[in-house]
Amino acid sequence: MTAVQPVVTHGTGHSTTEERDRPWQVVVWNDPVTLMSYVVVVFRRLFGYDLETATQLMLKVHVEGRAVVATEPRERAEVSVAQLHAHGLQATLARD
Amino acid sequence: MAEIRREGDQTLFQLEPKERQVLLEIVDRIEPMLGSSRWVSPRAYGDEGLEREFRRLAGDDLERSRDADLATLREGLAGPLPVRLGDSDVWGWVRALNFLRLALAEQLGISEDGWEERYSPRQHRRPPLATLHLLSWLQEELIDSLA
Repeated sequence: MTAVQPVVTHGTGHSTTEERDRPWQVVVWNDPVTLMSYVVVVFRRLFGYDLETATQLMLKVHVEGRAVVATEPRERAEVSVAQLHAHGLQATLARD
Repeated sequence: MAEIRREGDQTLFQLEPKERQVLLEIVDRIEPMLGSSRWVSPRAYGDEGLEREFRRLAGDDLERSRDADLATLREGLAGPLPVRLGDSDVWGWVRALNFLRLALAEQLGISEDGWEERYSPRQHRRPPLATLHLLSWLQEELIDSLA
C-alpha cells in the first residue's frame, strides 16, 4: 500500500544548457482549507526544512497568499512542483 | 468513539464498524468530485504551452499517485479493526484526506480564508460542513501521529 510518487524525468520544452541551469522559483499558494500543520509536515518531508523554517514558510503562505519555498534548476523545480501537487498543495513555477 | 494513537512504529485508528462505514461512504460520495476540482489538479505554469508539456510529463503519475493514496485509505478502512498503519500508509491517508477536503470545500463554494464565519453553529454541526470537519479532525490526528 505504498503511494506512487510522480516522476518528472525531463524539463519541459527545448532549452539551451544556460536556460536549463537558470534557477526557477517553486511558489506555494494559499488555499482556505488545507491545514497549517499539514503544510508544515509536507515542507519538511519534501525539502528537508527544520520545523522553524517550515513553519515560517507556511505562515508566509497563509498571511501573504504565497511563498517561494525553493529556488532550483528548472527540471528539479518541476519535480518539486509535481511532488507538491501529489500532496494536494497549490504550487507553480516562476522564473527567478 | 474513534481514537488515534501511536503504538511503536505504527499508528492505530480505533473506530466502531458503524464509524468505519460512515467514513467509507464519505469517500465514495466525494471521490467523484475530484476529477473536476481545480484545487485537486492545480496548474504548474501560467503559460499554456509549458503547462501542456508539464501535464504530458507528470499528469499520469499525479493521477496514479492520487488513486494509490485513495486506495490506501479505502483498504485501510475496509481491513481489520483497529486499523494499523505504518508511516507510509499514514502519508497515503493524509494525502487522500487532503484531496477529499479540497474537493468537498470547492463543491461548497469555499474560496477564501475566514469561510468558517459565514456559517452558523448549527450549519457547522450538520452535513456537509460536519463532514468537512470530520475529515479535518482525522487528518490532523494522523499528522500528529507522525510527529
